[in-house]
Amino acid sequence: MIALHVPGDSVLHRAPAGIKLLALFVLALAVSLYPHDLPSLGAAVGVVVALHLAALLPPTTLPKQLWQTKWIVVVMVATQLAFLTPWDALVNTVRVVSIVLLAGLLTLTTRSEDLLEALETGLRPLTRIGVDPRRVGLTLSLAIAMLPVVAGIAARVRDTERARGVRLGPRLVVPVLVLALRHADDVADALTARGVD
Amino acid sequence: MSDAREIALEEVTVRLDGRSILEGVTVRLDARRIAVVGANGSGKSTFARLLNGLATPTSGTVRVHGVDVGREPRRARAEVGFVFTNPDAQVLMPTVAEDVRLSLRGSGMARAELDARVAEVLADYGLTSHADAPVYSLSGGQKQLLALASVLVRRPRLVVADEPTTLLDLGNAQRIGRILLDELDAQLVLVTHDLELAQRCDIALRFHEGRLVAVGEPAEVVDAYRREYA
Amino acid sequence: MTDAPRRRFDTRDIARIAVFAALIAALGLIAPIPVPGLVPITAQTLGIILAGMVLGAWRGAAAVLVFELLVLVGLPLLAGGHGGAASFVGVTAGYLIGWIPGAFVTGLIAHSGRGRIAAWRVALGGLVGGVLVVYACGIPVQAAVTGLPLGAAALTSLAFVPGDLIKITVATIITLALWRAYPPVFGTRRHRHAEEPATAQPVTR
Ligand SMILES: Nc1ncnc2c1ncn2[C@@H]1O[C@H](COP(=O)(O)OP(=O)(O)OP(=O)(O)O)[C@@H](O)[C@H]1O
Ligand SMILES: [Mg+2]
Repeated sequence: MIALHVPGDSVLHRAPAGIKLLALFVLALAVSLYPHDLPSLGAAVGVVVALHLAALLPPTTLPKQLWQTKWIVVVMVATQLAFLTPWDALVNTVRVVSIVLLAGLLTLTTRSEDLLEALETGLRPLTRIGVDPRRVGLTLSLAIAMLPVVAGIAARVRDTERARGVRLGPRLVVPVLVLALRHADDVADALTARGVD
Repeated sequence: MSDAREIALEEVTVRLDGRSILEGVTVRLDARRIAVVGANGSGKSTFARLLNGLATPTSGTVRVHGVDVGREPRRARAEVGFVFTNPDAQVLMPTVAEDVRLSLRGSGMARAELDARVAEVLADYGLTSHADAPVYSLSGGQKQLLALASVLVRRPRLVVADEPTTLLDLGNAQRIGRILLDELDAQLVLVTHDLELAQRCDIALRFHEGRLVAVGEPAEVVDAYRREYA
Repeated sequence: MTDAPRRRFDTRDIARIAVFAALIAALGLIAPIPVPGLVPITAQTLGIILAGMVLGAWRGAAAVLVFELLVLVGLPLLAGGHGGAASFVGVTAGYLIGWIPGAFVTGLIAHSGRGRIAAWRVALGGLVGGVLVVYACGIPVQAAVTGLPLGAAALTSLAFVPGDLIKITVATIITLALWRAYPPVFGTRRHRHAEEPATAQPVTR
């Protein structure tokens, strides 16, 4: 599966996906609610760096991840400086970037398949209100299988447009939708025929 | 089951939006390999889809191996495997093994047994080395093989195939044809425009404008069909 | 009533939801359209609005939810190749979450015509669901995450409104064209009887 995951064998890689997902949201909540002075801010940054080290990722990973947050930094600093003091702007920006890096770490150390499975398990309590975790899992897998198919349909329509020398602009979406949804009906038949309903 | 290997249609009519798509089809079939031929739009696919309840008759009954398809479509689908034309629309999961496994959902099989069955089917169709490969990396022929594997892993008693070789090259078409005609131990309904393939079946049906116009020796049915366009 | 909640999604619904989720991802591949002096328009949010307009409230929201779960588990499907859990904790988290009720409300209004698709209802759905609901979710979260006052957060998101209005217009045009090209997908009464199982249609392709 095409994903943002980086394979590895660290403690973080091996930890169960569901636990990591939970831990992320607890940490994210803690970080977004608390740090407002220098020591607590330093602690947040320390946790982020320590966890990245514990993941035993290539040394360029953290700088790369940091670089990915550049737009967040630019947008935040710009808007914050207009309304808040420079110190507040700095605190808020560091806080948000730390959380984003933590979340990125989850993605780096966890296979999508494992997270999907964790989601399915996590949904089990919802069975009582009519949610069927297995159907949700099926739909997610089906959507993944459809990604290259729909991208292929879009590419074909674009080729047709070029071959016929017409410029459809946004109307290009219409034939893509028609073909994709027709395809969905064929897929539905196959699902039914295989006894999946 | 009592009525082993019999497909029985009784005065089946299918109408849609007031248009008649199949009209008064009555037939009993117990041959192993049944070919279905006819012009575009003659009703072949509709006939095929009646056999597992993807289409429902407006009137009349369809029985497959003793199961009334209209009454118990789910039970019928457990017995009837269906192979479609387009491999892309049949391969439904991100990887090859997952796709085969999907067919066994809810079969109540133990995990070990399930894994063994999946491995066995993948081996049968030469897909073992692709087990964990993403399906989009397969060729059209391999995808159709996978679709077939995913159908046959359920061990259906009847396999309905609607133009399964139409989108394939010669080699792949021959391979799929061989599996369906020579290796399968289930009954087969094969809808096809490939008249060579049709002639290798045990009996042939021909549809024309929604009516079943011929049932008999494949060679004769195909010859008569050919003569009409000569 | 287009896709009543009391009815469980059948295989046809599941297939459409999955395909639409993939479609929203595919729209993320289209390069953002630059608008002079304004924030560029990404086609992905067009997909979100279309999900509601075309599939209706329940299936539309489900398609968006499926798309976002795939993003959450690490597939780089957001416009620009982004993805992963980070998208759900940053400044834009609220907007991302807001897409789900946004598609729902869009569909609710767009399909409120008892089997008829009318331009004004579709556009109104897009406006209320795709703009009001999405911003109502996005702005407070943005304010909370960034520590900005609510009014200031609202002000910074104003830059996106012109693009959103263009998108709603485009999405409405596309939806009406689809209504002419392939009406069955709207699943309205004219084309599909609620009491008849969808799988029982002799649809042949
Ligand atoms: N859902 C539908 N709505 C309207 N007409 C339909 C539908 N499904 C099938 N038909 C029509 O029913 C007729 C028979 O269709 P069918 O697909 O069974 O033919 P076929 O023999 O399989 O043709 P082909 O060789 O082209 O596959 C055709 O005229 C077709 O247009
Ligand atoms: Mg056909």
